[in-house]
Amino acid sequence: MGYTRVHAEVHEYDVFARKTRVEPLHQVGSVVAPDDDLAMAYARATYDEERWVEMMIVPKAAIISLWAPGGDS
Amino acid sequence: MEPANSGALEALLKRGELVESTSEMTPDYLRELKHTLLFSGDTELISAPAYYLAARKAPSVNAFMTGIAIIQDELAHAHIAYHILEELGESQEDLIFKRDPKAFRYPYAFDVPLESWTELVVANAMYDQAGFCLLGDIHEHGSYGPWKRGLVKVMAEENFHLRNGRNWSKRISQAGGEAREELQRAVDWMFPLTVEWFGLPDNLKQHSTQLDYRLKGLTNDQLRQQWLSTVVPFMESIGIAVPAHQEGDGYVLDYPFPCTFDADEKRWDFKDPCSWDAVLKRWRERGPRNAEMVALFQESFAKFQVRA
Repeated sequence: MGYTRVHAEVHEYDVFARKTRVEPLHQVGSVVAPDDDLAMAYARATYDEERWVEMMIVPKAAIISLWAPGGDS
Repeated sequence: MEPANSGALEALLKRGELVESTSEMTPDYLRELKHTLLFSGDTELISAPAYYLAARKAPSVNAFMTGIAIIQDELAHAHIAYHILEELGESQEDLIFKRDPKAFRYPYAFDVPLESWTELVVANAMYDQAGFCLLGDIHEHGSYGPWKRGLVKVMAEENFHLRNGRNWSKRISQAGGEAREELQRAVDWMFPLTVEWFGLPDNLKQHSTQLDYRLKGLTNDQLRQQWLSTVVPFMESIGIAVPAHQEGDGYVLDYPFPCTFDADEKRWDFKDPCSWDAVLKRWRERGPRNAEMVALFQESFAKFQVRA
């Protein structure tokens, strides 16, 4: 999907995190940034509502969807 | 003609399930959802310059940092709403940087300048409480999955803003003297502005598409009562007078609603009731600080834009 921002080319990343070791990672939101470094900075600053034990970001382009609500399945 | 998936959407909403993708929406649902998201995003965004202009009057560096932390939260909340709009096909860049100030959709209250630390903390105690009621309702009853999940973070942080507002209001009230009089004056003009935040009373608003689509769960009057039921007892508990009192299960205003407001003087005329048409006209024309606040986040856009 083409986003236009202050930068000519940006990518979307999904942000995953968990608060405790016993819970699974879940999606807490997403960020849009021109590169991985800025995406990490945006994720850290934007989703700072908890003391996460783990946080990771994934480029949305790398996600392969098998099925989703509203699809043809 | 009814869109093809109108029946499927209605059935899904009736089952209490969540809408997850545009393929499940009717054009009408999509339009209402975008409208609701835009109001929410614009409100969060405009609160940043509104709070910033007041936070500069903070009484200490610590207090200033708290103000800045709140502003950072509000910008993240705006990002959540605008990013969902982006996924629904809108351009975030156009929405934030290329709209006319008057095209922004947020409560009129923010157009009246917050000019002191006292007014900022009263905004935290009353405006953020209004946001808490409205967004809490969407978080609890909303039918659009991505937004409902995005609001988990928003609710946690609005709670912190509210606490800041209440702690400081209490502290200022306890200080007494001139500080307490300033607090009372702030509440005097900001309380009725927040009461009208919730919009037309139910008896004038015949039908709500937002309720049909479960984009909200409570009516304007129900939300207004919820707000009154938290703010009135709190203000009374810290010895600050508010023009409303409890009667039975509900709260009743001690002034004609609506009535006229002088934005430059920050003064309500409780002896001059007016029509809702007059209120809607005031809202449409926007208030004193609208253009200045929008310029604060739009002005550097052209300067720093990188062209491909």
